[in-house]
Formats: sequence, structure tokens, C-alpha cells
Amino acid sequence: MIKIFTLGILIIFVFLIIQLCRSGRLTFKYAVGWLCFGAIGIIGAIFDNFVSVLAHRCGFIVTSNFVFFALMIFFIILSLFLTTFLCQQNKRNDIMAQKIAIMALELDYLKERSKKDHG
Amino acid sequence: MTVNVKTIVIIPALNEEDSITEVIKDIQALQIADIIVVDDGSTDNTALAAKKAGARVVSLPFNLGIGAAVQTGYKYARRYGYDIAVQVDADGQHDVQYLRPLIAPILANERDVVIGSRFLPPFSGYRSSFIRRLGIHFFTRLISLLTGVQVTDPTSGFRACNQAMINVFADDYPSDFPEPEAIVEAKNASARIGEVAVVMHPRLTGHSSIRYLKTGYYMIKVTFAIFLRTIQQKNKKGHPL
Repeated sequence: MIKIFTLGILIIFVFLIIQLCRSGRLTFKYAVGWLCFGAIGIIGAIFDNFVSVLAHRCGFIVTSNFVFFALMIFFIILSLFLTTFLCQQNKRNDIMAQKIAIMALELDYLKERSKKDHG
Repeated sequence: MTVNVKTIVIIPALNEEDSITEVIKDIQALQIADIIVVDDGSTDNTALAAKKAGARVVSLPFNLGIGAAVQTGYKYARRYGYDIAVQVDADGQHDVQYLRPLIAPILANERDVVIGSRFLPPFSGYRSSFIRRLGIHFFTRLISLLTGVQVTDPTSGFRACNQAMINVFADDYPSDFPEPEAIVEAKNASARIGEVAVVMHPRLTGHSSIRYLKTGYYMIKVTFAIFLRTIQQKNKKGHPL
């Protein structure tokens, strides 16, 4: 029952990602990671015995602990990735604002000079 | 003063309409430098007051913070081929009569960056709050320990630099509370850093940008920033504006 429920949730999740891509609210570049996450989740739900073996090999007694641990690591890495992306965008934003401001000053200067030249 | 040395004074300003005119007039009276005011998204008439006073004004479309505002000035200085850039606060704290002594070591090619210090004799009588003095002392020691640079006033925003450092700062300039970190950046770029004694006055109007921030946060943030700046990779390619 849990297996079917998990599979259902993951399929809905993947479908949602595809829909977001189709509507243009999520670009393919950033959807790839989520699609891979969904695919790995579906594979894990289908082959749950494999997940149990992997959990025990990694030293986890309870498989769910392993799943929570893996999810936590995934979200920490994702947060770090998003923070770096945010910093990059912030820097680009600053550069753009600085460029616009300097160009606006130059434009004002050219306008004034043009006015003077044309009387 | 050397005639063919192009000097520019960069004044970052945020809501300083009451003091900016006087600061600009004082600098104009010296007749040694062009002035660029970087209006960092002011909500008052700072830009208009600066224009009326005869300065060129770069108006940022929104508030980017003091570091980005100063960096805009450096980008402008690089774009127009200035040889020396001087930072002056818009609040009237910096006595611009010391502009000539500040740029003299750069003109003599003895220094690449010169910081105006409140704590050097014969003008070492500047008094600030205990906690502020403690912070300045802490950063003095930290910068000395990490870089070997001996400065007495690492938080002073009254400073000058030559063309090589204009290029460095135009490419990359620290963001929040940038003064101590900029010294480390200059040292990373192998700059010769010096200080000259200057007088600083109480603010004409307004309030300090760090007044409402917890001093502890400021100390921790700048300390981390200095550590990170010390180990930062060199030869970063900047944006060519």
C-alpha cells in the first residue's frame, strides 16, 4: 500500500514538473535536477529491496532513516546550489544597475550637448 | 599640483540632501578634481542637490549598498581614464582640505592606496564611542595579523588610490561595510598602502549607516569577510565596464 502511495506521489510530482516546464514557469535547465530526483524516487519505490540493502550496507539499521538522511543531504546541497545561484544573480543585477546608471548619465550629457549644438 | 593628472572625487550618497551641497562646494573650491556623486537610490533630493551644486551624478536605479555605490564610482573613473580616485563621504565628516596631502604620496609614486587616518599625530584627538574604538582597534590588529599591513584607521572611508587600484576596485569591491575588507583586497593586489593624518568632523546631518546595527553583527560579519578576502583566489576576471 505504501509502495503504491509513494509511487503515486512521485508520478504526480514528475507530472507537475513537466507541466511547469510546458507552461514556461520552470526552464529545462532547472527542471533537470527535479526530474532526476523524481526518477530516482520512482526507481527506489519500485525496487525498495535494493534501497534496504543499500541502507544496511551504509550502516543504517532502519531503512527509513537512510531515506530521511539521503533527503536531508539532497536538500542541503540544493540549498547551497540555490544560494550560489542567488549570489550570481545578485551580482549580475548590481553590474546591470551600475551600467544603466552610468549610461543614463552619459545619455543626459549627450542630450544636453545636442540641445546646445542645435540652438 | 601636477596639471595633467586626472583626479576624481567619488562621493557615494544616500539621503544626504542637507549636506551634499556643502561637501561639493568645498571640493570645487580646491580646483584639483572632478566630482562624481553616486546616488544610491536616495528617496530625497540628493541627486538634484548634487546636480545643482555642479557635480556629475550617477543615479543608481535602486539601493545597492555602500560597496556597490563606491564601485560604481571606480567604474566611472576607469571608463574615463582617471589617474587618481578619492573617496569622500557625503555627510561632511571628511575635511576635504586634506585632499592634497591624501593624494600627495600617490603623485610621488610612493603609495598605491592612501588612507586618511583620524588617529595619526598631529590630529589624533578624534573621539568616538568606546565600542567603536574597540572595533577599530580589533580590525587594525586583525588586518596586521593577516596581511602585515599596519594601519591605524581601517574603517576610514576617506582614501585615495592610483589608476592600477582603480582597475582593481572597479572589477571587485566589497559590499557591506567595505573599508577594512578593501584594505585586504588592496594588499592581495600587492598595493603599497599608506596613511596620512587627516581631520574628521562630526556628521553634518543624518546618522551613521551602522548606528542601528548591532555592533557584534558588524564585527563578526567584517571579520569573516576579511578572512575570506585573505584566502580569496587571485586573478579574477572582472566585468569590463
